[in-house]
Amino acid sequence: MAMKVVALAGNPNVGKTTVFNALTGMRQHVGNWPGVTVEKKEGVFEYKGERFLVVDLPGTYSLTAHSIDELVARNFLLNGNPDVIVNIVDATSILRNLFLTMEIFDMGLKNVVIALNKMDLAEKRGIKIDIRKMAETLGVPVVPMSAKEGVGIEELKETVYNVAHGKVRPNPVTPTYDPDVEREIRHISMALSQTELTERYPVRWLAIKLLQRDDEVMKLVLRYLGEEKLKEIMGHIGEAEAKYGRAMDLILASQKYEFIDNLMHRFIRYTKSEGINLTDQLDRLLIHPLYGFLALGIVFYVVFKFVFAIGLPLQGVLDDSFSAFGEWLAPHIASETLRGLLVDGIIGGVGAVLSFFPLVFLLFLSLSVLEDVGYMARVAVLMEKLMRKFGLPGKAVIPLILGLGCNVPAVMATRTLDEERDRLVAMFVNPFIPCSARLSVISFISGAFFAKHHALVAVSVYLLAIVVALLSARFVSTFLVKGEETPFVIELPDYLIPSWKTVLLHSWERSKEFVQKAGTVILFGSIFIWYLSNYPLPVGTGSSYAEKIGMFFEPYMKLMSLDWKAAVSLLFGIIAKENVISTYGILYGSADALVNAMTPLQAYVLAVVTTLYIPCIATIAAIRAESNWRWAAIVTVYMIFVASLVGITVWHLGSVLGY
Amino acid sequence: MNMIVPLSSLQPGERGVVVDIRGGPNFRNKLVAVGLTPGVTLHVIEAHPYGPMVLFVGGTRLAIGRGMASRVFVRRL
Repeated sequence: MAMKVVALAGNPNVGKTTVFNALTGMRQHVGNWPGVTVEKKEGVFEYKGERFLVVDLPGTYSLTAHSIDELVARNFLLNGNPDVIVNIVDATSILRNLFLTMEIFDMGLKNVVIALNKMDLAEKRGIKIDIRKMAETLGVPVVPMSAKEGVGIEELKETVYNVAHGKVRPNPVTPTYDPDVEREIRHISMALSQTELTERYPVRWLAIKLLQRDDEVMKLVLRYLGEEKLKEIMGHIGEAEAKYGRAMDLILASQKYEFIDNLMHRFIRYTKSEGINLTDQLDRLLIHPLYGFLALGIVFYVVFKFVFAIGLPLQGVLDDSFSAFGEWLAPHIASETLRGLLVDGIIGGVGAVLSFFPLVFLLFLSLSVLEDVGYMARVAVLMEKLMRKFGLPGKAVIPLILGLGCNVPAVMATRTLDEERDRLVAMFVNPFIPCSARLSVISFISGAFFAKHHALVAVSVYLLAIVVALLSARFVSTFLVKGEETPFVIELPDYLIPSWKTVLLHSWERSKEFVQKAGTVILFGSIFIWYLSNYPLPVGTGSSYAEKIGMFFEPYMKLMSLDWKAAVSLLFGIIAKENVISTYGILYGSADALVNAMTPLQAYVLAVVTTLYIPCIATIAAIRAESNWRWAAIVTVYMIFVASLVGITVWHLGSVLGY
Repeated sequence: MNMIVPLSSLQPGERGVVVDIRGGPNFRNKLVAVGLTPGVTLHVIEAHPYGPMVLFVGGTRLAIGRGMASRVFVRRL
């Protein structure tokens, strides 16, 4: 027998993830919804010996066609045939939460269970809810919960079980509107009825969505009933709107809230007036235009230190142990080809993948904590104005800062942004931010060639890179990525102490996903580069493919005064940016020879080009994992273009200025 | 007299009832979904001259950009 499917629906910040984790524990899987970059989580729980598949829908406030998250959730509810829908409702904010509930009821879905979460908090705020009356009024079972404390989980499982087996038959209330609006709904329903379309979708829902001018439903009508019918219906809606003098979606929304308000009076009482609480007092400081930025700086500093001060040494240890393992293994393999492939290609590649694990895990840990504490929303508020100038939302500052440590976790961090459009722009520009591997190149060059002004030179490369990143963001968001700028309105949840179980589980799952997704790309990339540098003869002989590629590009490199050796070094830098200097050293025989072979200006050009030219293979893999191959390819080509442009400009400008 | 003013002109501590939202469907939808819809009462908690406003609406604390707030019309209470 197929497992029964339970869908979890709810607003953002209602503790949906906590409920999901409490239900499924470690038996969960993170992936993407087909075709989009919206995260899909699935898990399994067992009750009375039966296994249930839990699908966590994206957290949304409504079910319109305006965002991918909402469409994904809605399409699953309509077409995914869930056996039970668990709607998680925040007891401290019932009015707004029931808006989504009503959208679900509008769809004519019956098997709904309300998980009324954060009961403990509601009690503290003096909100008294009569659970029995609430269930009666809404027509569906209501399970009071405090998921963070584990309260109500067993009851929820039992209720889901009962509904799935028809032992409890919910009969949700149908949201109704004013007589005038109801007449419009009836009118449109009539125009649609008795067609193939109404066999597949609830007719009342279709009518309501058409009144809201829902793009997707309009497309459905066009597909099933033809252009004429759609025109007729939309014409009618236009007339109705002219009559009311207001957009139909606004009318429907306010009447829906009115309907909820009327229901709520039957089961809820507020015994305290909502005053200024601790969160508001903290916010006076944390989103203050001056103190807020100071606090933000401190938080960033701590997160940055935490991730990289612990992560980078761990990465080094893992890297070293894999190299040591390779060196130990090498003499035991007789075949030279096999030895090279295994030691340099495979062990090197696997080592590279796994060595990123601590960084990625610590990063996700920090992000989860910031998110669950409620601070992320404040970052968004603080940075919104500044970041918008570059076509990015406020929260996008986080991946940019993390990029200074390592672009791989930074690219992963773009998933904290709410809109697909913003995620694409943010991961596009991230590789320009110089990571710590490039710091080693920049500091080597500035130290070796610019003894006097080395700090100034290093800082200038950083500034150049950041300016390029921000201008590119402006460019991409204007020309490359579709979608309008999203209006800035954001919920500021109460500050909370996070549940460690949730945070750890979350970070673990996401890091594991990174290794699975990025792993193969990094591995095959490493093997490929190993092949280029060892065939037909090893690098240094002048006849390896790598050197031939370098020589082929020499005329191009000459445009910025660099030679074929630079081309080969940059090729190796794709594996890891710190390779650039060591490869150069090998090709020239020694680092000293390298220093004598270049003028300071040439070295500066090399530093700039190394910083900008291409994401390392792990970053490319991360971009692919977070979006798709196409986007990763576009980023790569764009970076090569920008690096060439900047490199050539710096060289000529420098020559003219007499350096 | 009950005046209808843009939300952005309210001061911290003031209350108002939303009467209209002026903007495209995407904009309207976003506000409606977070609970800012004609008919609801809101309470301004904070308003920095150049930053966003912080409101309390239906049990939820919201931050809204200045530009957006100037397109939401409220009746001052």
